[in-house]
Amino acid sequence: MSQFHDVQAFVREANRITEMADLQPLLEDALKALGFDKYAFTHHVPGFVVPNNVIRLSNYPDRWLNTFIKRNYFVDDPVFAACQRSSAGFVWSQLPQILTLTDRQREIMGEWGQYGFAEGFTVPVHIPGEAIGSCSMSVSDVTRFPLQALPAAQYVASFAFEAARRVVKREWVGTGKASNRASLTARQFDCLVLVGRGKSDWDISRILGISDQTVHQHVEAAKKRYGVASRTQLVVRALFDSQLTFSDLFDLGHIP
Amino acid sequence: MVVVITDENRAEYKQELAAMHRHRKQVFVDFLKWNIPVVDEIYEIDQFDNSDAVYLVVLDPDSRKHLGSIRLIPSTKPHILESMFPFLCEDAVPVAEDIWEITRLCTAPNAPNPKLVLGQLATGLMEFGLLYGVRKFTFVTHMGALSQVLAFGWDCEPLGLPQKVSGDEIGAMLVNVDTQSLHMCRKKLGTQKPLLRLPTAARAA
Repeated sequence: MSQFHDVQAFVREANRITEMADLQPLLEDALKALGFDKYAFTHHVPGFVVPNNVIRLSNYPDRWLNTFIKRNYFVDDPVFAACQRSSAGFVWSQLPQILTLTDRQREIMGEWGQYGFAEGFTVPVHIPGEAIGSCSMSVSDVTRFPLQALPAAQYVASFAFEAARRVVKREWVGTGKASNRASLTARQFDCLVLVGRGKSDWDISRILGISDQTVHQHVEAAKKRYGVASRTQLVVRALFDSQLTFSDLFDLGHIP
Repeated sequence: MVVVITDENRAEYKQELAAMHRHRKQVFVDFLKWNIPVVDEIYEIDQFDNSDAVYLVVLDPDSRKHLGSIRLIPSTKPHILESMFPFLCEDAVPVAEDIWEITRLCTAPNAPNPKLVLGQLATGLMEFGLLYGVRKFTFVTHMGALSQVLAFGWDCEPLGLPQKVSGDEIGAMLVNVDTQSLHMCRKKLGTQKPLLRLPTAARAA
């Protein structure tokens, strides 16, 4: 099969995806076949915790992700900065032609080598009314950079990002899958949010103006509905099915 | 509201169509710098704006001002993909009664809510397809606009790999028309009501 027909097959599958867990292996196989070893498909929304309609898909080493988030490279990373200026895809070695690199940006680029980023290709994602996103695909050995595969990579990136967007925004129709969300009462939900914010039963009772015994009963009932044993599991499960969102738990500030 | 303007009812929409061609000139020639024909210095009109062309036009329901539009041409008639960019298709250019091309998607530069206008056009196009028996639409897009187009909620797939044409990466796409996509578009728009205003049927003799 030609490279195009592989892309076409990928697109058809990606268009039918309804779960991130199905998208990731599909994407990884496609990128590997094109000759890339690392990828990061992400909205440019800073922070360790983000709302669950924000896409963060990557196989970057944790060390790099931690550095990136902790030092807030969302603002300074030259690839991210170039995405603000370019709507078309670009190769990382062309960055100096897209923007005048600051000292800090040169410094960041200097760190890439030790994490295995020798050369890459990034497709910016600009959708009006949404945070900017990007799809970066890279190799650790510049001599193996798949220049011939960039047109195909453009499509794999754009269609995969859109598939991920549909998953996080839960925008698809007619799969007929019944929701397996546990149904919580309004009071149980209030307690769940406060549990997620690290409050004790006593704290919650003060905030909601009910007895701590009642709070305890609400939390126990919510755990039961999810079939989990601990408060931590309860929060994780509720985040997983979007009953609870990160924005319920944190002040996220301004998201562009 | 989204009106369907065909050869049949064109005379009723002279002003609206003139506004469409003016806005197309502002968007495609002045802003995007496309090298395409301009008529009387203010209208963007090309050889495909002929009697085969159908327009979906979003009008302000009160003032009837042009807010955005798109041009549709049956693939069995001369159209842009076949005439100018056939090399963007890996296989043959799709040509059939039930395949139409969409071009010149634009929003008026002064439209207060361009995102809404695009959503109405995206939805109107699915309605048009289902009503007029169009199973697929083809179009050519710049790579810089691709993610925005994919976010319309259509079921889209490429017809060939993107290529560089006079400095820009462009590619040909195919959109499948079905009720699922219509519902997807309507869900994004937050409405379940049909949007299209159709040409009134010719009076029986």
